[in-house]
Amino acid sequence: MIARKIPLIPTLFLLPSLLFLSIFIYFPLVQNLYNSFFEFSVFSPTKEFVGFASFQQLIQDKVIVAAFINNVKYAVISVLFQVFFALILATILEDKVFRRIAPALRVIYFMPVMISISVIALLFTFVYNPQMGLLNSFLELIGLENLATPWLGNATTAIYAVIAMSQWQSIGFITMLFIVAIQKIPKELYEAADIDGAGKIRKFFNITIPQVKETMFVNVLITVTGSILVFNEPFILTGGGPGFSSTTLSVLMYEQGFGKDNMGYASAIATLIFVLSAIFALIQIRVSGTGKDD
Amino acid sequence: MKKMLLFSMFLLLLSSILSACNSSDATTAANEDGKVVIDFFHRWPNEPRKSFYDEKIKEYMEANPDVHINVNSVLNDSYKEKIKVLVSSDDLPDIFSSWSYSFAENLVSSEKIMPLNDVLSEDTEWSSSIIESQYDGFKFDEETYGVPFTVDGKAFFYNKAIFEENNIAVPKTYDEFITALDSLKQAGFEQPLVEGLTDTWAISHYLGTIFERVVDPAVLEKDYAAETGEFTDPGYIQGLEIFKELTTYMGDVSTAMDHEAARNMFAAGEVPVLYMQFAEVKMVEEAGDVEIGFFDFPAVEDGKGDPTALTGAPEGWMVSKTAPKETVDFLKFLTSEETAAEFTKTDGQLNAVKGAVTPDNVNATSQEAYELVTNASSTAPWFDNAVNINIADVFMRGGQELATGQSTPQDIMKTVQQEAQSLRE
Repeated sequence: MIARKIPLIPTLFLLPSLLFLSIFIYFPLVQNLYNSFFEFSVFSPTKEFVGFASFQQLIQDKVIVAAFINNVKYAVISVLFQVFFALILATILEDKVFRRIAPALRVIYFMPVMISISVIALLFTFVYNPQMGLLNSFLELIGLENLATPWLGNATTAIYAVIAMSQWQSIGFITMLFIVAIQKIPKELYEAADIDGAGKIRKFFNITIPQVKETMFVNVLITVTGSILVFNEPFILTGGGPGFSSTTLSVLMYEQGFGKDNMGYASAIATLIFVLSAIFALIQIRVSGTGKDD
Repeated sequence: MKKMLLFSMFLLLLSSILSACNSSDATTAANEDGKVVIDFFHRWPNEPRKSFYDEKIKEYMEANPDVHINVNSVLNDSYKEKIKVLVSSDDLPDIFSSWSYSFAENLVSSEKIMPLNDVLSEDTEWSSSIIESQYDGFKFDEETYGVPFTVDGKAFFYNKAIFEENNIAVPKTYDEFITALDSLKQAGFEQPLVEGLTDTWAISHYLGTIFERVVDPAVLEKDYAAETGEFTDPGYIQGLEIFKELTTYMGDVSTAMDHEAARNMFAAGEVPVLYMQFAEVKMVEEAGDVEIGFFDFPAVEDGKGDPTALTGAPEGWMVSKTAPKETVDFLKFLTSEETAAEFTKTDGQLNAVKGAVTPDNVNATSQEAYELVTNASSTAPWFDNAVNINIADVFMRGGQELATGQSTPQDIMKTVQQEAQSLRE
């Protein structure tokens, strides 16, 4: 057997991305871990070594648990809506019945993805506004005014109101990914199913789902890791409030770091977020066997 | 979008390193044309102050052709965050706006702020034109680090017409205030009082004043200092209960609103009472045409605190240690009587420069407020500036939880005491 030489040219091509990854991702990751063993503020010229104190605080902090539960709610609802509902939406859009208007509908569903999240969040503060908001006005219009509530100011509804906005915004993106996957499914499969007399629902479960499995796992991965990192939506809409009822881990990290100036503790939270998202990603990759195509 | 989330996460992770990489040439004061460059940073990207300062900068540069001023501005909460990042880097602007007390103290602790005692004593004509008591919030260890400019205070503003219609007298005590709110409620005002509780600072303003009323000033002084704070006085629980009682008059929309929305409701005559700053008088007048009066936060009967202490603190200017010497001249220009008078005329906010607030440039309500501020027996700083931010945050979030009924005063105080203990250590 001939000893393999390391090919020069491909290695060279890999170098730039490797360089950027290490400068902007791996190095900060290590630096962050290092920071979480210290206590410091942005004003202090020195850092004080505290060992695992921040992590101890992390375990005892009740707010962390509340924030994590909010992240889990985010993840569960996002997977339900963005993965399963988006798949159904994509299938419908690819159906022959909608052939003519599908391109227009695709654009409509994809539009929110292209709008900046800050704009969307501001838009939704008007939708949820307790006095003149669209949502409450609509509920009153159809006679359900007893359901109207200050959505973002109520501790039980705040987090769901935030999650709902995310679903509206992101579903188009995931749908688009599914549409691409569905278009790649060989037509022969559907034709064969037609000849065998399979209905639309049968075709969906026996052809579409198995064929887009790979995309589905990728989408689950995107939504779940995204849910663990979610920051913009709750931060702009509610600032984590009222109380801590809509705080997520990232919002908490930001508040600790830049609001309360506990940079060491914020680093510890960042480490926790990294570990959590890494664990979820590993589990999913493991379960789905992504990469071992067919 | 997910990419963006990832990206913003990494930005946060990166920030510590970025600030280290961000070494700049702030110390080199002259640019290519030999002009002295002054970096000016303030917190009013909104009108009318933005145009006012842009105009003033232009005026100053015309009078001093060898100086060039770079201006930058971001709004309130973002300003707090940005100035923190700037002070930790070497990129601190030459002259910038700052709140007084703990906010200023934090900035000063970076050792990058220019001590101003010498500058002030060199030009007493200028420094004595500013009301002496207002310097307090910028003095740390006998050294002054900032020049106060705007002054402010907080009081309950009420709609005169509505009060007259319902025969309600201006309340002198807290009990009378509650009675007044009750009768307003009976008169058909679903929410006789309003506040935007999503703005946590608004909660801190309430709590700060309530504590001034119900807690012994000596206890407050001990508790507000991070090294000795214990927060075991039963007055705090009483104070939180008072706040909880007040939130019951705010209706359930308050937790979903910001202070600006609350102010607009007041200005439109929908709500008869609002706790607000004197600085907002002009905004109310511009937003609606209600006739307003004000009264101080009423005394609490069995409260051990100061029944007439006024909550409010000045804001002012700070200069960085590395700033070119022309900056001081620009500072004097910004706080001159002429600039100050014009400022109050344009903006309506009162300022600390003697002779700059006159019946010519403010209305009667503001004039009355100005006298109250400048003659107050004692002024207490804003609560979120007076205590450590970790303590303030528990109170502010706790205030929201009280309003939504998620928490009790006892629970909040327990958390505060824990937080205070970890700060003492």
